Amino acid sequence: MKELILDSWWVAYRELIKFFRQRTRLLMIVAQPLIWLGLMGNMMRGMTNSPMAAKALGVNNYLDFMTPGIILMTVLFGGIFGGLSIIWDRRIGYLEKLLASPIKRGAIPLGKSISSMIQGAMQVAIIIVIASLFGVCFHTGIPGMLLIMVIAMLFCLILSGFSLVLSSIIKTHETLMAIVNFFTMPLMFTSNALFPMSVMPAWLAAIAKVNPVSLAVTAIRELTIHGWVWGKILPSLGIILILDIIFILISQFAFQRETVE
Amino acid sequence: MEKAIEVRNLTKIYKGGSVAVNDVSFCVSKGEIFGFLGPNGAGKSTTIKVLIGLLRPTRGRLFLNGVNIVKHPEQIKHNTGYAAQETAIDDRLTCLENIYLQGHFYHLPRKEIKKRSEDVLKMFDLFDKRNNLSNTFSGGMLKRLDIAEALIHRPKILFLDEPTLGLDVQTRQAIWEYIRNLRYQNEMTIFLTTHYMEEADALCDRIAIIDQGRIKTIDTPENLKQQIGGDIITVSFSEISNGKVQKTLEKVKQISQVKEISLDKNKIYRIVVNQRGDKIIPEIFSISQKNETNINSIRLQRPSLEDVYLHFTGRTIQEEEENRENLIKTRIMKRRLRR
Repeated sequence: MKELILDSWWVAYRELIKFFRQRTRLLMIVAQPLIWLGLMGNMMRGMTNSPMAAKALGVNNYLDFMTPGIILMTVLFGGIFGGLSIIWDRRIGYLEKLLASPIKRGAIPLGKSISSMIQGAMQVAIIIVIASLFGVCFHTGIPGMLLIMVIAMLFCLILSGFSLVLSSIIKTHETLMAIVNFFTMPLMFTSNALFPMSVMPAWLAAIAKVNPVSLAVTAIRELTIHGWVWGKILPSLGIILILDIIFILISQFAFQRETVE
Repeated sequence: MEKAIEVRNLTKIYKGGSVAVNDVSFCVSKGEIFGFLGPNGAGKSTTIKVLIGLLRPTRGRLFLNGVNIVKHPEQIKHNTGYAAQETAIDDRLTCLENIYLQGHFYHLPRKEIKKRSEDVLKMFDLFDKRNNLSNTFSGGMLKRLDIAEALIHRPKILFLDEPTLGLDVQTRQAIWEYIRNLRYQNEMTIFLTTHYMEEADALCDRIAIIDQGRIKTIDTPENLKQQIGGDIITVSFSEISNGKVQKTLEKVKQISQVKEISLDKNKIYRIVVNQRGDKIIPEIFSISQKNETNINSIRLQRPSLEDVYLHFTGRTIQEEEENRENLIKTRIMKRRLRR
């Protein structure tokens, strides 16, 4: 077990070195929430002037409502690319090199997930800082922020597991990109990330209710706007954890199956 | 001599049903450089991948240093080093980062990794460039780094799959020198595959010629050349195989030293003689004069591995090589474009 964790760490470490080396990408990570919160958040600000909308959103400032959505969106788009590097590794032969070394086979997908979780947490930290600068108040303070980061990381784990499964089955970048886009956009827009469920048509609200994105958003939103509402946070967390376990198992299985001949 | 590698009746059939390796048996002694020579798809890489545990054999028994690796696959990895056909270097990491990671993948302690990387990088003349990003490296440097990485855990047996594929002549010779040093300094057993004749000739103590998954012959390069006879005289006539030429060849065949005559695609006759081809040439001339045939050109050749290869597989390796080089070039181009 100790070996598995160490091996996974070194797989993750490789990804992280490369992550921190890409200056443009780091810049984008800061720029993206700036644009979302600064531009879209301010555009929608007028919405909360109407008491009806304010009631539906449950906040006086749309930015408060939107920040948890932005956090999830960033993690969603980031995490789903977490497994993609395995395709590249396969193509340049690095995967074969890893498989020929004595590291635990399972450490390869696990390491990729860990690296995308750490990247996700960093992105979330940056968003929290930027949102605070825009005047968003996190009601649960620093402990709440930390829990938000943990939830985001756990959600990231689901997605990287999903993308690892995909990249074990699909071996070309282009097809995978198409499939990833096919999933992420609808996942995002059938959730309560940007709009409350109460204003959705019934059919959409029904989808939003079972969408895992909504679960994570709800938990983070409670932590941001209301405080420690455990009755809403714990069930979300529980389902996310169950999904984590399921996706880790499936991705391990898919990877093993794909690399044994 | 002690055996480092022993393969008995290895067969590998892929999922789709294609037979990559068909009932192959061979032994490699400790400290030997052993080469697999053959065209693409002959089963060279497959054999290596089975030996290092990347593929499971369909049938056969395999031993590394006397250990049955089909029964004890966990014994393979710490004892073998492997440099694949395509250099698997992460080009967005520095030289040191690449090799350190490899050390961690082999569970070496940090201190040991530091010391050993220094050693191997010096050995492969990469120490000065240790902090450079490896996307600034040339093909030859990447290959050197790749082989250096394969040595970090001090394997007893090193597997090199086409170690000089796609490299220019000088770089290729430099890499041969490194490989020879490895053997002398570290008494390592080296198993390599190649489809370059010169490489097999220059490096290997023994060669197995493999074609379509089967070993055609195994011997030292010298013995192989001996086996197909002495010198080869190639002759082309001005007349295109008419009766006169046939008559001349009939007569030539009667010379006692002549072993066989064959005709290749370009209307050139290959005459294999027992020994001393230079003494037969005058006789061929006089015969052809008597039969009123004109010799266009005549050439005396000492046998090369190329001839051995031709003899055992009935094909030259040339065309395949060209295709391969093109493939590699496009791959390198694609890699560059990605940056």
